[in-house]
Amino acid sequence: MADDVSRIALDGEITIYRAADLKTTVLDALRKTRVLEIDLSGVTELDTAGLQVLMLAKQTAAADQRELRLLQHSPAVVEIFEMLDLVAFFGDAVLIHA
Amino acid sequence: MSAANDANVVTYGSSAIVALQSGAALPSQFLTFMLGEEQYAVGILHIKEIIEYGSLATVPMMPDCVRGVINLRGAVVPVMDLSARFGRAQSTIGKRSCIVIVETEAGDGESKQVLGMLVDAVNAVVEIAAADIEPAPSFGTRIRPDFIAGMGKHNGRFVILLEIGRVLSSEEIVEMARGSAAVA
Amino acid sequence: MNLDEALQTFIAESRELLEEMENALLNVDLAGDQSEAINAIFRAAHTIKGSSGLFSLDHIVAFTHVVESLLDKVRDGSITLNDEMVVLLLSCCDYLSGMVDGLAAGQLEQDPDTAPEGEMLQQQLRRHMDGDAAPAAAAIPALHAEPSVERIDTERGDSDYWHISLRFGRVVLQNGMDPIAFLRYLAKLGRIVGIATVPDAIPPAEEMDAELCYLGFEIAFDSTADREAIAGVFEFVQEDCEIRIIPPHSKVSEYVNLIRALPEQAARLGEILVRCGSVTQQELDGALHQQSHKEEDAPAQQLGSILVGAGNVPPVVVEAALAKQKQVSEQKAQESRSIRVDSDKLDKLIDLVGELIIAGARANMIGQHIQNTELLECTSTLTGLVEDVRDAALELRMVKIGATFNRFQRVVHDVARELGKDIGLIVDGEDSELDKTVVEKIGDPLMHLVRNAMDHGIEPAEVRVAAGKSAKGMIKLNAFHESGSIVIEVSDDGGGLRKEKILAKAVERGLVDPERKLTDSEIYNLIFEAGFSTAEKITNLSGRGVGMDVVKRNIQALRGSVDVSSREGQGTTVTVRLPLTLAIIDGFLVQVGSSVFVVPLDMIEECIEYATEPGQDYTNLRGQVLPLVRLREQFRIGGTATRRESIVVLKFGNHRAGMVVDTLLGEFQTVIKPLSPMFSEVKCISGSTILGSGEVALILDVAALMHTVGGKGAVAQAA
Repeated sequence: MADDVSRIALDGEITIYRAADLKTTVLDALRKTRVLEIDLSGVTELDTAGLQVLMLAKQTAAADQRELRLLQHSPAVVEIFEMLDLVAFFGDAVLIHA
Repeated sequence: MSAANDANVVTYGSSAIVALQSGAALPSQFLTFMLGEEQYAVGILHIKEIIEYGSLATVPMMPDCVRGVINLRGAVVPVMDLSARFGRAQSTIGKRSCIVIVETEAGDGESKQVLGMLVDAVNAVVEIAAADIEPAPSFGTRIRPDFIAGMGKHNGRFVILLEIGRVLSSEEIVEMARGSAAVA
Repeated sequence: MNLDEALQTFIAESRELLEEMENALLNVDLAGDQSEAINAIFRAAHTIKGSSGLFSLDHIVAFTHVVESLLDKVRDGSITLNDEMVVLLLSCCDYLSGMVDGLAAGQLEQDPDTAPEGEMLQQQLRRHMDGDAAPAAAAIPALHAEPSVERIDTERGDSDYWHISLRFGRVVLQNGMDPIAFLRYLAKLGRIVGIATVPDAIPPAEEMDAELCYLGFEIAFDSTADREAIAGVFEFVQEDCEIRIIPPHSKVSEYVNLIRALPEQAARLGEILVRCGSVTQQELDGALHQQSHKEEDAPAQQLGSILVGAGNVPPVVVEAALAKQKQVSEQKAQESRSIRVDSDKLDKLIDLVGELIIAGARANMIGQHIQNTELLECTSTLTGLVEDVRDAALELRMVKIGATFNRFQRVVHDVARELGKDIGLIVDGEDSELDKTVVEKIGDPLMHLVRNAMDHGIEPAEVRVAAGKSAKGMIKLNAFHESGSIVIEVSDDGGGLRKEKILAKAVERGLVDPERKLTDSEIYNLIFEAGFSTAEKITNLSGRGVGMDVVKRNIQALRGSVDVSSREGQGTTVTVRLPLTLAIIDGFLVQVGSSVFVVPLDMIEECIEYATEPGQDYTNLRGQVLPLVRLREQFRIGGTATRRESIVVLKFGNHRAGMVVDTLLGEFQTVIKPLSPMFSEVKCISGSTILGSGEVALILDVAALMHTVGGKGAVAQAA
């Protein structure tokens, strides 16, 4: 497979209310490509359920020999990632906004 | 014999005395039935039901007073021939023969046992007040004195009230069976 | 659940736990690696303490607490388990059993009669805890690193921080809670120095439910708040969440305990602890240098005694983790595999199945009677299904004999000590299943057989050695299925039965005619006759009261049989044979006069036409003499025989006989209905049943029948 990279964006509240749908969306997107990039600039809120979906996606990608990249982390996302020390887990460069 | 000379003073048979002393009420209702020409009665507290004489399976090596066993709604229940139990010949089965199903306490006092008594005919349930019950005579009746709980006066005649626990005592039956088996 | 029910469950569970505890104590002696056993023992005591606390059973709580404290010290290696302690703990087990029994009898408080014993046991427990009774922690083999690494530790570790371990429950999110919110709140009480998110529980994508919570967290927390305040942060999720809090400067053991308690892999956990900062890599590495030969004055154990390493097998942690993992997975497997069922409910089910069988038989009969093929087809299907239900229901009544066998470990252990003999117990065939009623009733007879073997079978050590045997005697319990029965063998490698002695004693007691020539087998089986005992010295155990004849009768009451074989100098084997089920029997109906009898199908070899010379009591079966039993005569049934009688050839063990009956009625599966005790003297009848027609048929006791015949004349030995 060529290095096909797809990108999707997650916007708004990435929380338990949408967790089930998010899981389906993200995993489907992941399945169709070798590298999936998720643009998180529009995320206004992230809770444990939302976080879990991202972590699941990361684990699934690793298991399927695909790649998951998170980018343009919004402040909401950054706060959570730093509080839970998850930057290393996801391995993406996080731009700290001024 | 009876010491009921004074209407207010009555003496009771031994089991009646025990019952009174223990505070238990004597049953006042009795089922009367026939064995041959004689009428007997049993307190209704023990009686569960009365069924027609039906097919009965004989059990070998048992004394004559145990007629056999029947199927009572899925339970195998022994049936006693009272006539034989009283030392007479086995009952002849007639049109009115029935089996009276009773429940008594087993010898160990803990469990209950269900038994059937084969009688020649069942009469009515009658009311006999405690005052009308006199102790068993020490002689003169043709059955064992310990089988008799008392003599009930009804309609001007005496009815033998049976001490059902004794009559249907399985310990005695077992003893008898042991004896007859040894003879084999 | 009302209190009574809860209490009953507590009693049942405590009994199970005490049994586990006892088994573990007995097995501790055998294995080199004790940690699994010790954990099992600790867990049992700990659980009983907790549960009895719920019921405010203070006397049980108090006693168990002392036991638990001792076990805790054993667990962290401060004290080593020795034989004396095992015996003491076994006594504590018994004492607790007594308290639970008292509870079952309605006694909710300490029984003043047994209080002194409890006091004494507690004193002994404390003595061991203070190290007076324990031997010095001498050189421990390097393999068993646990006690060496974690020693009596009065000094604290280096960490200034609290360690909080969180494993959120699955339904936390659905209950409206957000773990992240709790962490934010926690951060208000202090500073989260280090945190590791543990996503290990997230299952593969297909299985993952996005609305459940699979996350855990390990947190190093810097705070001056006290433990209560910290725990209070999680007040609203404490029911759904596993929360463990370790104060700053805690001992090594606390962290090892934490690792033990958590579900993830030990090495992974070590890694996580380092990540979140509760432990430093240096400390971890440093711990590798701890070796077993250091004595009590070794440098104070730091936090970093937790061994983690790529390639370095960390004995403590891996051992603990493995032991723990095994426990967890075993427990989980057991929990999901079985449920507790009220035995009354089971009995009711069996009764109903029995009624179903009878009703089905009736329907079948009617179908045949009115010759309706459609109906017959239906009843045939019905009968097939009813048979399946019957088999499934009977399966429910089957329990493994393993539990019964394992109880004997304790008996053998105690009795061997009492007798001053070294005796071991081997158990085989624990998975063999039998009817639960049989299991309940076979325990006592088996117990007696085992004690007998230990007392009279196994010789004293000197005698054994002189005879060239090992000093340690062996008792073996073996169970297996054989042609519709379950066979249990109790064998020993002792001195065997002495033929001449037995024969002499039997003759002396008038049990046999001195002129009669008996086979070896017959001589050995004389020990089951009433009034027989050749033990010179009647010991406490087997000589008095209960004799082998009672054992035999108990077994026969279960419709079983018992046999004994022996080789002098080598040992003895007692073989007990029991039917697989007491409730339902496959039978064959025969008729004599107007009476119908049921013969157990597995006792029948074949049926043949009746042919014999008048006056003869035997017939010719393919060249062999077959003695006859005329049922009509035997049971004194009146009337005359039918013109063409039949013979049912019965086989029981090694004996054959032909039973003469009027008519053969065919196979019939029946539900056994016990007969009133009134009929207990009728030996040849073992029970009754109800036929499809509603009539009662009596079940023949073939063994007893053969016996009565055997008494009169020779019974043919099977070829």
